[in-house]
Amino acid sequence: MNKHSIFIIYLLLLVVSMGMIACQKNISIEVPPAESQIVVDGFIENGGLPFIMLTRSASYFSTTSSDQLYNAFVHDALVTLTVDGNNFILSELCSSNIPDSLLPIFSELTGIVVTPDSPFDICIYTLLNPTFQGEVGKTYFLKVEVDGRTLTATTSIPQIVPFDSVWFEVQGTLDSLGWAFAIISDPDTLGNAYRWFARRINHYPNGQIKDPTYIAPFNSANDDRFFNGLTFEFPNARGELPFSDKEDDKNIEEGFFKVGDTIAVKGCSNDLNTFLFFRSYYQELANQGSPFASPASLRSNVEGGLGVWAGYGVYLDTIIATN
Amino acid sequence: MVKLLLQISLILSLLLMGFVSPLSAQKTFSVWGKVIDENGESLPGATIFIVEKQKGANANENGEYNIKLKPGKYTIECSYVGYNKQVKKIKLNGGDKKVNFYLVSTGVMIDEVQVTGTQDENVESVRISEISLNMKQINEIPQFLGEVDIIKTIQFLPGVSSATEGTSGFYVRGGSPDQNLILLDGSTIYNSSHLFGFFSIFNSTSVDDITLIKGGMPAKYGGRLSSVLEINQSSGSKTDWNVKGSIGTISSKISFGGPIIKNKMSFLFSARRTYIDILLAPIIPKSSSFSGSSYFFYDLNLKFDYQINKKNSIALSGYYGIDKFNFNNSDIGFNMQIPWGNAMASLQWLHTFNENFFIKTMVNYSHYEFSFIGSQNEFEFKLLSGINDFNFRSDGFYKLNSRNILRFGIQGTYHYFTPSSVSARSGETQFDTGDIQHMYGLETGAYISDEFDLSEKWKFYTGLRFSSFTQFGEFTRYIKDDLGSTVDSKYWGKGEAVVTYPRLEPRVSIRFKTTKNSSIKAAYTLNYQYIQLASISTVSLPTDVWIPSSDKIKPQQSQQFNLGYFFNFNKNMFEASVEGYYKIMNNLVEYAEGSEPSDDVNDNPDNQLVEGDGETYGIEFFLKKVTGKVNGWIGYTYSFSNRQFPDINDGNPYPAKYDRRHDVSVIVNYTINKKWQIGGAFVYATGNTITLPESRYVIEGRIVNEYGQRNSSRMSDFNRLDFTATFTPRNMKKKINPVTGEKEYVPRRFKSKWNFSIYNVYNQANPYFIFFENSVDSQKGTISTQAKQVSLFPILPAITWSFEF
Repeated sequence: MNKHSIFIIYLLLLVVSMGMIACQKNISIEVPPAESQIVVDGFIENGGLPFIMLTRSASYFSTTSSDQLYNAFVHDALVTLTVDGNNFILSELCSSNIPDSLLPIFSELTGIVVTPDSPFDICIYTLLNPTFQGEVGKTYFLKVEVDGRTLTATTSIPQIVPFDSVWFEVQGTLDSLGWAFAIISDPDTLGNAYRWFARRINHYPNGQIKDPTYIAPFNSANDDRFFNGLTFEFPNARGELPFSDKEDDKNIEEGFFKVGDTIAVKGCSNDLNTFLFFRSYYQELANQGSPFASPASLRSNVEGGLGVWAGYGVYLDTIIATN
Repeated sequence: MVKLLLQISLILSLLLMGFVSPLSAQKTFSVWGKVIDENGESLPGATIFIVEKQKGANANENGEYNIKLKPGKYTIECSYVGYNKQVKKIKLNGGDKKVNFYLVSTGVMIDEVQVTGTQDENVESVRISEISLNMKQINEIPQFLGEVDIIKTIQFLPGVSSATEGTSGFYVRGGSPDQNLILLDGSTIYNSSHLFGFFSIFNSTSVDDITLIKGGMPAKYGGRLSSVLEINQSSGSKTDWNVKGSIGTISSKISFGGPIIKNKMSFLFSARRTYIDILLAPIIPKSSSFSGSSYFFYDLNLKFDYQINKKNSIALSGYYGIDKFNFNNSDIGFNMQIPWGNAMASLQWLHTFNENFFIKTMVNYSHYEFSFIGSQNEFEFKLLSGINDFNFRSDGFYKLNSRNILRFGIQGTYHYFTPSSVSARSGETQFDTGDIQHMYGLETGAYISDEFDLSEKWKFYTGLRFSSFTQFGEFTRYIKDDLGSTVDSKYWGKGEAVVTYPRLEPRVSIRFKTTKNSSIKAAYTLNYQYIQLASISTVSLPTDVWIPSSDKIKPQQSQQFNLGYFFNFNKNMFEASVEGYYKIMNNLVEYAEGSEPSDDVNDNPDNQLVEGDGETYGIEFFLKKVTGKVNGWIGYTYSFSNRQFPDINDGNPYPAKYDRRHDVSVIVNYTINKKWQIGGAFVYATGNTITLPESRYVIEGRIVNEYGQRNSSRMSDFNRLDFTATFTPRNMKKKINPVTGEKEYVPRRFKSKWNFSIYNVYNQANPYFIFFENSVDSQKGTISTQAKQVSLFPILPAITWSFEF
């Protein structure tokens, strides 16, 4: 919980306790006109392929618009990945062209959950080359050319920082619900940064897998300025998929793992630019519309567009949640 | 020819210096005395005016005055803001004459308000953009939840606005809140608000009067760009014991004071505390996860006066106030404590050499601290920030002759800052949060000024202030690269000067009387400010930290030009003014775009700040009805406030957060009879600026916004009406006169009052903030956006019962 959200709770508590019930109403307001920009949402992991989603930002124009969430894919872009002086041209792959049986793998790899009955067609750019693998220590240069615009971005895959140990722990007075913990030994050089993802790979009683892909909980972006060179433990709440309407994302289990879960964890080390982007990303998600924050656009590492091009050094582990 | 010019200029300069009296020599006598109010308190600053001579004087700090006059018959008027004028006719022949004045506050003698036609302070004085109010006037204004609030009252004045609804932060002529010098009995107050600024820290029962200077700042004051708000604490009566108190919706107050040694030594103690926590404690069950969560604030004020002898008096004043918030959630083992508050202590010594020369010397200490302690299971986080000031000042007043008043003085303040000190641990592991960053500074000032009465028409004020700021070690400057990683550092040892900024600040004003009842005034001031509040959000949070000028941040500078026309009419029943101002500000600071408070860790807090300039200008109209059963004022301001920072908004100019095009305030009080008094307050203001998102996009499946130009949109206009009614029961009782045997009415010792107030009478939903809500239908894959406006305060009635005995 960051300081600002604490203050929001604080204010709400006071407002309620003082009987000043703040009221909310719908309004219409004029929004400054904006030019549409191209957005990169891409990553590459060690041992993995690059995945890049290209979309267009949508102007608010009027504030009462209703739109397709994923109708803004950029098609037919020339996407070039350069590593060690070698150029690779990425191909566009849309979920509608993939057999239904392969959709779970598509979801797992890209982090975007697509099911046969999904109302939208997800398109990504990737490298259809089975011998290509992201490598630790390498720098990846990305170039996107479309509609007369050129976007460039650079990232690298930093050294993997493995967890010393991972485990599950029931929280406070809650019976069988808890968080996943990890101990990490940060290298003695300043400038390391991390993200954490987790995925429950056990199934619901109906046979459906609990999490179709790895999910980063809120605020999963840290750098080592507070703990450079230290060994320490940190707790991780359970993240949920965007706009999830699953039962356990709404009831008391929200944010918790449960005794009986099998949790696949993914610890990522990433560069500082990626960290700065995701910190501003979580800040934006937390502050959207808050009067306590100054609005700020995300700190992109993409030249000529918006978004992020992230490299991850990945360490994998598994936790069986027991009492 | 040259010789003639020299002669003329010599005579002129001598005239200017007042050495050559243009009046013929004739023996003069002193008219002298003291001005006191109905409680026996002296009234420093009261105006004594000799009608026949069209000249006057002000009572000194002890309420005493002395005017030299030739023999003759004179009409002397004595007046003071909030008190009824007293007029005395005297005959002066063959000796000095003592004439004391006893002023009665307006409202007490509502039946007979006597007004005589003479020029008044606002027209007569050389001061521009200065307003004084006493507690009597402040108490008559409708107040939020019945809580009498000084800062909210001055927000009703032209040129002064509030940030958002309900807040106590105030913006003077487009400047930021940290550019206001707030002095409580001469000591700087750093955070003047409780509870996010919904209430100010000044307990109304302990305040005597306030003065706000918006422009034409005298040389005596420095260290801030925009304004001075001087708040004087009340003194205890030197003759009678007195207890005052009130029970209100939000808080209760008590004050008591009286003579320790009659006519020599007195004290006044006041206390105020909120009781939401006490009221809520029984409602929150022990079993609730949130049990133990609470909030309260309290204030303590003390004033002690000792008149040692005719020449010497000392005063000791103190303030201590704290906000304390506890939040508990046992479900997740989360606990948070946030205490913050101010403390102030000052000792003043007034030495009177003679009626024309006195020196006031003061030492004081001022402190502000904010801390935050949060813990969850094994994890604990502590944050502390604060400022400590040790201050010395000595101010002299010397009436050189009937035409020149000299003021001079020296000041020195040692600042000790803790912008932020963070510690965190998880179980046994202590996180590396870096060395605690303290900053040390010495701010000094020396000034001299002359208030010069050239003629009945012309009056000049010229002042020069020399100020300087030195940043001292121990200090480490971290040098950063673009990604915020430390690449180098520079170290200064203990007591080593890091940087010194010496500065000169000229202050000039002129008054030209156009007619008997009107004057034109102009002023130019140059000000420097050496410490600033770095605020990351749009509302004033206790987390905002004070940061001094440093090797990186240069002192802020402002130049203000003022021009005003002041006139009184209808026998001084009305005071009116039109004032224009233009202010340019340089080296202002703001947080860089996208800064986070946690960036302060292991870093210099000012590494996150960027510098830029500001420009504000406007015109203010003010009409005040001073006397009569119906009184009050109307203020209107038309203004602009812009900023330009190379590193913000792509270097383009943008409106400041507090840019207000129109601002209207209307205050009306009506004394119906001895029992009932009613009042209303209306405000209308252009909506606050806001930065709105202009487009949205998706990252990792979640919607984020891209924001437009800074402060390029506005919320809807603000308007609100408040109402107040005060009922004073007949505080008289029947008594049989032992001499005559007749029944008569005498005042009761115990007096009480009921105050009923309604905030936001017509329940206007004024915007507090606006946000865009994106709702997604994952089945259909559609997204819809709706702009929402949040309003804070609906119609809110409140009752306060106050008493006095």
